[in-house]
Amino acid sequence: MIAAIARRLVWTIVVVWFVVTATFLAVAAIPADPARTLLGPHATEETLARVRTHYCLDRGIAAQYGCWISQVSRGDLGESYRSKRAVTAIIADRIWPTAQLALAAIALQLLIGVPLGIVAALRRGRWQDHGVHLLALLGQSVPAFVAGTLLLYLLAYLWGWFPLGGYGTGGWDRLAHLALPALTLAAVGVAYYARVMRSELIEVLRADYVRTARAKGLPERAVIGRHALRNALGPLVTLVGLDLGVLLGGAVVVEVIFAWPGLGREIWQAIFEVDIPLILGVVLVSAIAIAVANLLADLAGLWIDPRLRAQ
Amino acid sequence: MTRAWLCAIAVAAAACGPADRGPRFRAAGSPTPRAGGTLRFAVASHLSTLDPTIAYDEFSSFVLRPLFDTLVDLSPDGTAIIPRLAERWQVSPDGLVYTFELRRGIAFRDGTPITAAHVKLGLERALTTADSPFTSFLGDIAGAADVVEGKAPACAGITADGDHRLVITLARRNPTLLQILAMPFATPQRAEHIARAGDQLRRLPDATGPFELASWDEGNRLVLRRNPHYFDPARAHLDAIVMLENVPRDTQFQLFERGELDSAEQLAAPDYLFVMTEPAWQPHLHRTVVLNAFGSRMDVGKKPFDDRRVRQALNYALDKSHTARLLNGTSVAAHGILPPGMLGRDPELAPYPRDVARARALLAEAGYPDGIDVEYVTARDEEREKVAASLQSDLAEAGVRVRIVLLSWSTYLTAVGQRSGPAFSYTSWIADFPDPANFLEPRFHSRAIKPTGSTNDSFYANPELDALLDAARQELDPERRAAMYRRAERILYDDAPWIWDYHRLTTEVTQPYVRGYQPHRIWLRDYTSAWLDVGPDGAPVPR
Repeated sequence: MIAAIARRLVWTIVVVWFVVTATFLAVAAIPADPARTLLGPHATEETLARVRTHYCLDRGIAAQYGCWISQVSRGDLGESYRSKRAVTAIIADRIWPTAQLALAAIALQLLIGVPLGIVAALRRGRWQDHGVHLLALLGQSVPAFVAGTLLLYLLAYLWGWFPLGGYGTGGWDRLAHLALPALTLAAVGVAYYARVMRSELIEVLRADYVRTARAKGLPERAVIGRHALRNALGPLVTLVGLDLGVLLGGAVVVEVIFAWPGLGREIWQAIFEVDIPLILGVVLVSAIAIAVANLLADLAGLWIDPRLRAQ
Repeated sequence: MTRAWLCAIAVAAAACGPADRGPRFRAAGSPTPRAGGTLRFAVASHLSTLDPTIAYDEFSSFVLRPLFDTLVDLSPDGTAIIPRLAERWQVSPDGLVYTFELRRGIAFRDGTPITAAHVKLGLERALTTADSPFTSFLGDIAGAADVVEGKAPACAGITADGDHRLVITLARRNPTLLQILAMPFATPQRAEHIARAGDQLRRLPDATGPFELASWDEGNRLVLRRNPHYFDPARAHLDAIVMLENVPRDTQFQLFERGELDSAEQLAAPDYLFVMTEPAWQPHLHRTVVLNAFGSRMDVGKKPFDDRRVRQALNYALDKSHTARLLNGTSVAAHGILPPGMLGRDPELAPYPRDVARARALLAEAGYPDGIDVEYVTARDEEREKVAASLQSDLAEAGVRVRIVLLSWSTYLTAVGQRSGPAFSYTSWIADFPDPANFLEPRFHSRAIKPTGSTNDSFYANPELDALLDAARQELDPERRAAMYRRAERILYDDAPWIWDYHRLTTEVTQPYVRGYQPHRIWLRDYTSAWLDVGPDGAPVPR
């Protein structure tokens, strides 16, 4: 068990290193000069040269990479070209808004998706099942930029129930600002969770132990609640883990539409500005979030399902 | 199915749309400026720093201008130099020595008096800070190069004569010096504050202007409040100015319509068309000709653009009325780089007319009777893409077959400005200060041709034009200067290193109760002297 965890940890580090190195190479391959982007079209040759030297941009790719890796190993992610702020400080500022959005979205996915899946499974083939199917189709096929813009237009602008984007000042105001982006972000997940829940539950309801439970005269509620549901929830734990990792990396489209100050919006701007240290920093954090969430999901799976442990 | 749903929702939403979208409020009718209140506006991107030596974002001046006063300022129409921290100034007859007398009673935000040494330090920081974009603006000051190269710790050409007199000595004449000194980077700065703030200097502006920083939740919300130590309290009426960052353009207008913002600018096309056609908004629209020029540059060193006739042919082939229509009438046709109202702009010179036959004849004369195939590079952006497509169809009629290549803005910026870059591409210029030198020298003087970072990215070198621009720089008489620039315009018109296309106007709409505000031609959204004509309770009066 411990050896398995250690192996996974080593792999996690390798994966994170690989992702960050690949990003570094991809960013280096962009034929855009960060100094030129930073200083704009008015920049003179002399100013450009000064800025390139200041940020080691006049050195080769290998030297820049070596410089960055040695910085990272000291826990320093460098400073943003654009704002001259430490990348770690920027990420520290942005991770909490992203985490709030991610947690709210996952909570909505579970609170809406799971009951819908259960209803669809129990009323299989009836109108409730078809209704859930339709909702799932809608949720999965409408892109976030359409759903987000539509929600913003209808619920915020036209009817004034919610604020028109932004982060709010805390408390209820924060919740009001959080509602629409979280709902937009959760739309795909709700659909997906409902479908997974439905198919898992249908599978489990066919299992021998469910038949046994029914045969020994347990009421239907107990059969479903105590026996079927518990077993059907396994795959959802893995899903939640994976989703949490992905969402903690920032939801670019949703954060931009709703002016939510998270990591997604930060990296979106950083890419436009070829702000290499910031891009690499956010990718590093996202990669770590996904890798760690995967690891935790695996561990949770082991903990929940004794059969996996035996393997 | 999905599409049907979306349509249904959109139709339902349209049916529920507000019938009256005019202003919700009106001015209360106060005869004199009312003190107090908070003015709120939003921008689509974010500010990266409040350090005046470095800040060079598109939106920087919106907050830097209220925060930082300079020796002199530019009048709202950009034509006159007006005093601020300097009460008066004198220029020596040879145009090399500028003597500024500082006002008494000027102070930093904590009440510490501002002295000439502080002004000197502010200017020197632009020379010593590696990533200051303003270094080159001070290049004509005696001893500036030594400071930039690290040979001297202080600039010999900037001297503080006592607390209230600053003398700037130039190595070469520069008639634009006062305009340069009006830019916020030239604000006085304190060594103690810089040392104390350390790497937080970008968040801790040492205000010298009518407002100071109250708070900055980076990327979200920046609040300025009135500076109690400002020498001219009558200049500002508002208690506070709030700038929201990163608000998408369409959301900005929605917030504005709901009364949650007091001003909206850079409207998305549908909102712009709505505002332009809604009579109730008309009195509250501000249209300003700003200092810009848009067109297409050609590398005059590369075939087929090395032939002047080809470049002229392209100018004749473009239909400027198409661009104007695409931009919903927010532009004026250009005959050169200098925008309307600029010194030296020749109002007699008419833009190249659309003349396809002439364009074809010129191409044939240049040895291209079957037309030419060219690649046109532009940056990915709704407006630029539309303009490129229009140019493509216009030029096709004259036998110029254009293939459009789209690049991201950063890649585009890197690609142009070097010899190996594209021969034909979109271009624009937004001036830093309102002087023809700031348009013509960086774009067309051969001195601005550099190996990798040419601002003269047409690589246009004409000794006659160079001599004219150099002479105009030495000329102190505005009339004679203007005549020289008019001749320069004529040369460029004929040589056509660009396809001259248009100058862009900005349109801003403010709530009816926002008064005393006029967009500045250079600083754009400077709300320093705005006031809110609202009810006695501070709330806007409903319409």
